[in-house]
Amino acid sequence: MYAVAEVIDDLCVANKGCRLCIMYCPEANTIIFNKEKQVAEVVEERCKGCELCVVVCSAAKHNAITLVHR
Amino acid sequence: MSKERIKINQEFYDIMPVEYQELVEEGTYGKEGRGWKDVGESKELIEEHSLCAGCPESIAFRYVLACLPAPEDTIMVGSTGCTSLVFPHVAVHNIHSLFGNQNAVASGLKRALSYRFPDKVKDVVVLAGDGATVDIGLDMTLQSWFRQEKFTTICFDNELYANTGGQSSGLMQKGFVAKMAPAGKKFDKVPLPEIAKSSGCHYVVKMTVSKPNRVEKAIREAILVAREVGPTYIQLYTPCILEIGKQMMEGLQEMRDSEGPNKRFEFEEYVSDEARAYLDTVNPKKRKRKKAIVTK
Repeated sequence: MYAVAEVIDDLCVANKGCRLCIMYCPEANTIIFNKEKQVAEVVEERCKGCELCVVVCSAAKHNAITLVHR
Repeated sequence: MSKERIKINQEFYDIMPVEYQELVEEGTYGKEGRGWKDVGESKELIEEHSLCAGCPESIAFRYVLACLPAPEDTIMVGSTGCTSLVFPHVAVHNIHSLFGNQNAVASGLKRALSYRFPDKVKDVVVLAGDGATVDIGLDMTLQSWFRQEKFTTICFDNELYANTGGQSSGLMQKGFVAKMAPAGKKFDKVPLPEIAKSSGCHYVVKMTVSKPNRVEKAIREAILVAREVGPTYIQLYTPCILEIGKQMMEGLQEMRDSEGPNKRFEFEEYVSDEARAYLDTVNPKKRKRKKAIVTK
């Protein structure tokens, strides 16, 4: 069982220009800005579950990312 | 290198890996004004590296690769360490050198490139850890600065030999106890930025990678200065979360804690007069705007 990040679309404020999780994710091409839905999107195969995106998103009080077990 | 050479022959397109197809379709080769804002909206030049989860060094790698002004004409020289684990996953030409030899290899490479491609601009960027730059390769590093070799040296400073279990390095802070340095470091952190200034570097920056816009500015200006003026040096703090006993999500906070006023990674920038004059010709608009704000 692995922990991976998951974005809650309704809470994500990427449409307002927030790029915190995309910026601070240590993995390349893992959190991607979905231009159609205007939200951040996690590519689960590449996510190592380090929780940095959860930390930066929660620190900005968006709380739009959680860790889920797959 | 011509940007056309990054394209895939149509007959072989369908058998190429998906990642490679994405790189050709959405990569940022040849794009004007590359920067960290491309991250997340286009394909990055690094893919599925093998560094630990939450490693700040991989954040630094992403920013450095996103901010190279001309990746298709850049050759990176790496050295032994955690950085050498990432280079096989990087879509920029790179050379692995013997431990500590990176600046000597880069000197030869830069000269050979200027003979082979006299009409083109080719950037050489050295990217090595603190062990390669300061302990084992200090000789080569300093000599390349004395000789005014025109390339950029980037040091990923994690303050110890992380890859081999945490031995003390010259850049470790005084008194720090690591797994393989139980007695604590006996002498002060080597002041390499100061040494770089007095050794002839024209652009020296010391900082952490917690602010991507600052990293972008530093990398871009260092490479531009290295093209025309002389050697440049950037020291980035990329803590090893495993060896300093942090959790995987604490790397960013560790960097923020170390860059406050009077901390050891407080932002420091040195630009020589020559480099400043050159940078003013490259970004004249930005300079004017800044001056206007000051006069108000």
